Amino acid sequence: MIDLSFAKGIMHDAALAIMITVYIIRLVWLMRFKAGRERQAPTGSGKANAVRKNYIYSWGNIAMPWAMESTRTKLLLYMQFAIFHLGVVAAIALLFTIAWGYGDSPLPKSLALLFRASIGAAFIIGVMRIIRRVSSRYIRAISSPDDHFSLWLLTIWFAFAYLAAPNDTMGGTWHLTAFFVMGSFFLVYVPFSKISHYLYYPFTRYYLGKTLGRRGVYPINTISRTAD
Amino acid sequence: MSSKTRSYKAQKVIERMGRKLNRQIVGSLTACVHCGNCIESCHYVLANPDDPTYAPPFKADKIRTLFKRHYDWTGRVVPWWVKAKSLYTDRELEELKDVVFGKCTNCRRCTINCPMGVDMATFNRMARGLLVSVGVMPEGVAVVSKDQWEIGNQMGVLKEDYIDTLEWLSEELEIEYGPNFVIPIDKQNADMVYSINPREVKYDPRTISDAAMIFGAAGADWTMPSEGWDMTNFGLFSGDDDLGGAVARRLYEKVEELEGGKLVISECGHGYRSTRCEGQNWAQMDINFEMESMVETMLRFIYSEKIKIDKTKNAEPVTFHDSCNYARSCGMTEEPRELLNLLCTDFREMYPNRAENYCCTGGGGAMSMSEYTPQRLKSAKVKADQLRATGAKYVVTTCHNCVDGLTDLIKHYQLDMKVIQLVNLAANALVIEKPAKVAEPVAAENVAVAVSSVDTPAISSDGFLEGRRILIADDEPDFVTFVAAVLEDHGATVIEAYDGDQAMELARKHKPDMMTLDITMPGKSGVEVFELLRSDPELKRIPVCVITGQPELRKLIYERTVLPPEGYVDKPIDEESLLVNIRKILRSKEEAKKE
Repeated sequence: MIDLSFAKGIMHDAALAIMITVYIIRLVWLMRFKAGRERQAPTGSGKANAVRKNYIYSWGNIAMPWAMESTRTKLLLYMQFAIFHLGVVAAIALLFTIAWGYGDSPLPKSLALLFRASIGAAFIIGVMRIIRRVSSRYIRAISSPDDHFSLWLLTIWFAFAYLAAPNDTMGGTWHLTAFFVMGSFFLVYVPFSKISHYLYYPFTRYYLGKTLGRRGVYPINTISRTAD
Repeated sequence: MSSKTRSYKAQKVIERMGRKLNRQIVGSLTACVHCGNCIESCHYVLANPDDPTYAPPFKADKIRTLFKRHYDWTGRVVPWWVKAKSLYTDRELEELKDVVFGKCTNCRRCTINCPMGVDMATFNRMARGLLVSVGVMPEGVAVVSKDQWEIGNQMGVLKEDYIDTLEWLSEELEIEYGPNFVIPIDKQNADMVYSINPREVKYDPRTISDAAMIFGAAGADWTMPSEGWDMTNFGLFSGDDDLGGAVARRLYEKVEELEGGKLVISECGHGYRSTRCEGQNWAQMDINFEMESMVETMLRFIYSEKIKIDKTKNAEPVTFHDSCNYARSCGMTEEPRELLNLLCTDFREMYPNRAENYCCTGGGGAMSMSEYTPQRLKSAKVKADQLRATGAKYVVTTCHNCVDGLTDLIKHYQLDMKVIQLVNLAANALVIEKPAKVAEPVAAENVAVAVSSVDTPAISSDGFLEGRRILIADDEPDFVTFVAAVLEDHGATVIEAYDGDQAMELARKHKPDMMTLDITMPGKSGVEVFELLRSDPELKRIPVCVITGQPELRKLIYERTVLPPEGYVDKPIDEESLLVNIRKILRSKEEAKKE
């Protein structure tokens, strides 16, 4: 049986160190590929070209559901995305809040409630996403074992994070230990899995924004709403 | 690594992939989370709702799995976990070809709908380039690429034919409107050098004369180059950066040689993108002159009052189709609309539009890949529905590829609509004063230019083709569209076949009055079809006119023991010679019957 103090101490810190190291290696690997050079003069309408820093628009694209047809026309899915990712941020924050902050002391009730609300909602979305991944013909066809495993991993972790949020050991420590053990596994597994997408997001979005911005495609002209 | 034997071609594809990878592509290949947000942005998906193999991430994974297996650490260590997979056989390369060429037009609609910013069109093009580098590609891509490498333009138009066409158009314009309307060729130090799509010379010279009328009416200092005039670039479609660079360089160097002030690119989506944007990257060449689309040139002429427009001449309802390359890769969405509002009285948007418009379904070189025609036309339903909903009589587009793609789908889905370009609308609405030969001054509004075909007595309609059923067998959709349009305008009923097998099937089914036959076609070649026709008691009397761009193959037909074809015409072919030949063949057949 793994001891809670070990799980949220040495194990957690070691997992974090591994994650950071692997991420650095990963970034070095990515940066070793040459970036393509654009020689062309800017195209597109004057309005578009006036916004030179289009990669900022590109980075912010995800927070603008109206900017893409795929998010504009599927607001429910977009909200699921937002809640799920806020839950991830909350669960990670909880990990560090307990490990490096409150230690053995319970979290203030309001803070615990905040964590529970966001993580609980994310858990529900996680379950919905699991169902979608197996029930949608398209999503099932494109899913790899890593896609399924990562989603299950996060959803189960949310469940333990929900239980762990008050950092209360009165009823036992198993849920906290499980939360930290899974959290450590999560930190180590992330760089090797699809969950590392947030590491690449700034790069793909930066280059797409730079290219489409220079060519006047970004920002997308939102006059192009559908008739209905 | 597996000990399976790998074919030479598969090995080369894997090795060359490493050289093609850059940071943008690697980012796009690693960042996909299979969220599925992009799926419904693809017209192939919308037209095939039960088939997940058309989903952009499914198609992208055909390339991504290869990247993961050889270049990404998780895929190298535990390939099954991330569905990483290598390529071993030539058959697998063929399957990959059918995905990257046959199921995607590189329209970039999924790219702008991807929350992660995965640019699928870019790495799909990379995959095309890898396959082309080992000779795996649709036949049409090979033929067009060869023409562009060897002859200098993608339709294999010979220099003398190009010059002849320009001189003929120039003479017509001079006779009609005066000396200011001649087409200057290779004029040094002109303000503008005008480059075109070879399709204009071969099938649609009207767009050249329309542009010349506009330049002439504006009193512009312009010229057309005698060489290096093709602004299209099949390197964009084939993924071959070397071809892309060579074609672009040819054009840039010609403008520099002529010391032209600005390169004006006629209305063509992929031509504009290749010349204006990508060409400099492929050719690794910085240029010192400006470039603009003819759309911008026309706008400038109108705003500076160099030309006068009477928009009431374009009173029919029109809608506008955004070319993917203009809208999603070059950001030109507003200029065409601005121009349209100046040129016509009833402009109606289609939805969605601009960067979110759907592909014409003929993009990415799809019109040259006849083997994928059925799935292309099926996917075109999305565009057909979009067009139908506008209620417009004309769909305007700024792209020659789109002209062909839209014409094809309009016919397939039986829409009451025609395709036209902005230059045609502008020429139609142009107000030109009559040349000096007109004795009495005439009010300008009474002599506005009509966009008429260059009719001659030889091609005027006499009803001879009325009711005739003519089968056209050719794998070039552009050519079929052209021939069909000419024959239908003269009352014939046209049956279209895009390969040899289809030609035989349709000949048996319809027993046409006559048939035109290409020699090089997928499936059964024209030679095989011809021999089968002549050997079939029911079909042997169908007169056949062989029309080919490869005269050296003519002997293959005449070497056969069967009776020779009734007619033979070399490509490129114009309307007049097509009609003359067809009439001649039909008349002789009828006379023979009477005798």
